[in-house]
Amino acid sequence: MHALVQGLILGVLTGGVYALMASGQTLVFGIMKVVNLAQGALVVLGAYLSYQLFVSYGIDPFLAIPVTAVVMFALGVGVHLAVLRPLRREDRAELSLLVTFAVALLIEGVIGVVWNTTRRSINTSYANDSWTVAGYQITVVRFAAFALSAAALGLLILLLHRTRFGRAVRATVQNPESARLLGVRAERVAALGFGLGAATAAAAGSVYGLLYPFNAGSHYDLISLLLSIVVLGGLGSIGGAIAGAMIISVSSAVVASTISPSWAPMTFFVLLLAVLLVRPQGLFGRPA
Amino acid sequence: MSTNNRFWRAGLATGAALALAACSSGAAKTTKAAEAPLVIGASVSLTGDFADSGKAVKAGYELWADTVNAKGGVLGRTVQMKIVDDTSSPNQVVTNYQNLINKDKVDLVFGPFSSLLTVPSSQVAKRYGYAFLEPAGGGPAVFAQKLPNLFFVQPAPVVKQGDVFADWVLSLPAAQRPATAAYTELDDPFATPVAEDIRARFEAAGIRTVYKQVYPAETQDFSTIMTKVAAAKPDVLVGGTQSEDAYGQVKSLVQLKFSPKFMFLSNGANSPVEFPDKVGAANTAGIMSSGDWFPASKAHGSDEFAAAYVKKYGGTTDTIDNTSAEAYAAGQLVEEVAAKTGKIDNATVIATLHQGTWPTVLGDLSWDAVGQPSGSFALIQWQNGKLVPVYPAGVAQAQPVSPKPAWGG
Repeated sequence: MHALVQGLILGVLTGGVYALMASGQTLVFGIMKVVNLAQGALVVLGAYLSYQLFVSYGIDPFLAIPVTAVVMFALGVGVHLAVLRPLRREDRAELSLLVTFAVALLIEGVIGVVWNTTRRSINTSYANDSWTVAGYQITVVRFAAFALSAAALGLLILLLHRTRFGRAVRATVQNPESARLLGVRAERVAALGFGLGAATAAAAGSVYGLLYPFNAGSHYDLISLLLSIVVLGGLGSIGGAIAGAMIISVSSAVVASTISPSWAPMTFFVLLLAVLLVRPQGLFGRPA
Repeated sequence: MSTNNRFWRAGLATGAALALAACSSGAAKTTKAAEAPLVIGASVSLTGDFADSGKAVKAGYELWADTVNAKGGVLGRTVQMKIVDDTSSPNQVVTNYQNLINKDKVDLVFGPFSSLLTVPSSQVAKRYGYAFLEPAGGGPAVFAQKLPNLFFVQPAPVVKQGDVFADWVLSLPAAQRPATAAYTELDDPFATPVAEDIRARFEAAGIRTVYKQVYPAETQDFSTIMTKVAAAKPDVLVGGTQSEDAYGQVKSLVQLKFSPKFMFLSNGANSPVEFPDKVGAANTAGIMSSGDWFPASKAHGSDEFAAAYVKKYGGTTDTIDNTSAEAYAAGQLVEEVAAKTGKIDNATVIATLHQGTWPTVLGDLSWDAVGQPSGSFALIQWQNGKLVPVYPAGVAQAQPVSPKPAWGG
């Protein structure tokens, strides 16, 4: 019982971080119908940026986020303008898979050259601290990561629902044709949306770097996780990404703590399959 | 390489050797120094998965070459290392050794990094009758080949790495021994067998197993496993670990505030720089692992090695990677075979090393018919932020501290 509750706590806290990572992924898909295979690499790049700021200047990874988010936002917009916007053909969605995968490989290569292949981790002074609450251990880093992810997601949702830009984004997600007819500048929304996705990756990267050791190749694990989450939740839905992240994270933590850690990585694929059999559009997705 | 170029290089090397010999020991050696250089080829991983370790191997080989050349070379022949990159690929490594042997016609070869690359490359060496001194391939697959030309330059096969911990624990008076044990093992041919070896010996001695878990390589989060370890309250925790998982286990235990009385981690905890960096220096206190080389070791040529390393590569003796010491030891063996037999060729190396024991920076080495070393590792423990050998008595520099201090020192 104790192990189960401890597993639940871990699952919920980790789920928040997954949700933040996946929100960028699902946003980009919602706006552009582009499956961004570079999202994992962007998260890893975000982790390296905050690692470097921490090692060189002693800046706490949480405080580094405003800086790395701006840099990554610019990078995201740049990537969109350079490689995604030129894809005007009808098979843009399919081509974008190749193009974003190329971007992922490029980022991986650059990271390998700049930081080598050794795994890095961000070891803050509070990295090993934990609180004991009613006999359960809650690690400071994990709790802070969860809180920050929740705050960042909150900001993102506010941005989408309370600003003109957000309205344009949501209009594009719902019906690109009508949005364009009503004067939404689709390419600009797409570029900014891609930038926003990269900025969430920066925030998620800082948090990811605090929780786990990472190297240039970490993005392969991340992207399969992120794709599972957004497909489970329904492509294009932020709420779906949050639900998907929680389901995946809690179920694998509970399986790890009650059955065996060997089965944990498999859990979410089984869940994914089960959900897709019943609801092919994902939990929150709209039928095509 | 064109013949001209090679001629030119050989000339340069000979010139350098002449100059060195003239400086160090007068004219007596000049006739010998004029002999052809002793070219030793090796393929190491300078890129790819094993790049970091591969570079440490290269550093060890080159350091030995420098050291031996400063003393006049091997039997008066200047040592030239010819090192090529195998990109951590089992295919490339085969091509590399074929080229080294057939095209470059090197005199001797040294091994690559990892068992994965050692297995195919040792077959190439076997085919051409080359001795295969290899410092970094000690997995069961290497010895299963039953090659007479192979010598694993470490004190013991990888799976026997934890024996020394079991030796020490079982040497304690009954009242001080642990009564219960937990085992957390990475699903990996270099990690699981080490912990299982210790478990078999502990169980035979009556130490009860209260928890055992094998985890997959993808495991990033150790809190669920460690929560169970903490709940089982074992006296001793034996981790069959590699690197990141060792750091993860320690960090989770610190967060859970559970500190076992004894803790042994097969790998990761023996990394002098990364381990304290990843888990926090204060949390290392009392953790045990095993090793073959350590600063201030009294083994043959160890002082010379450490001083030369720091001089050539910088840093301090505490930051020297064991892998470099192991590579260096391969060179020492060549030197010793030459000194003993007065000649240096592959058949001599193979025949000579199969007899007797050979002093190196790793201690005295000897091998069975298939190249398995028959010694044992030393038990090392983190004390005051440093790794020190604590058992057996012959190599110990300090008393083992037990029980392990609480987290944070």
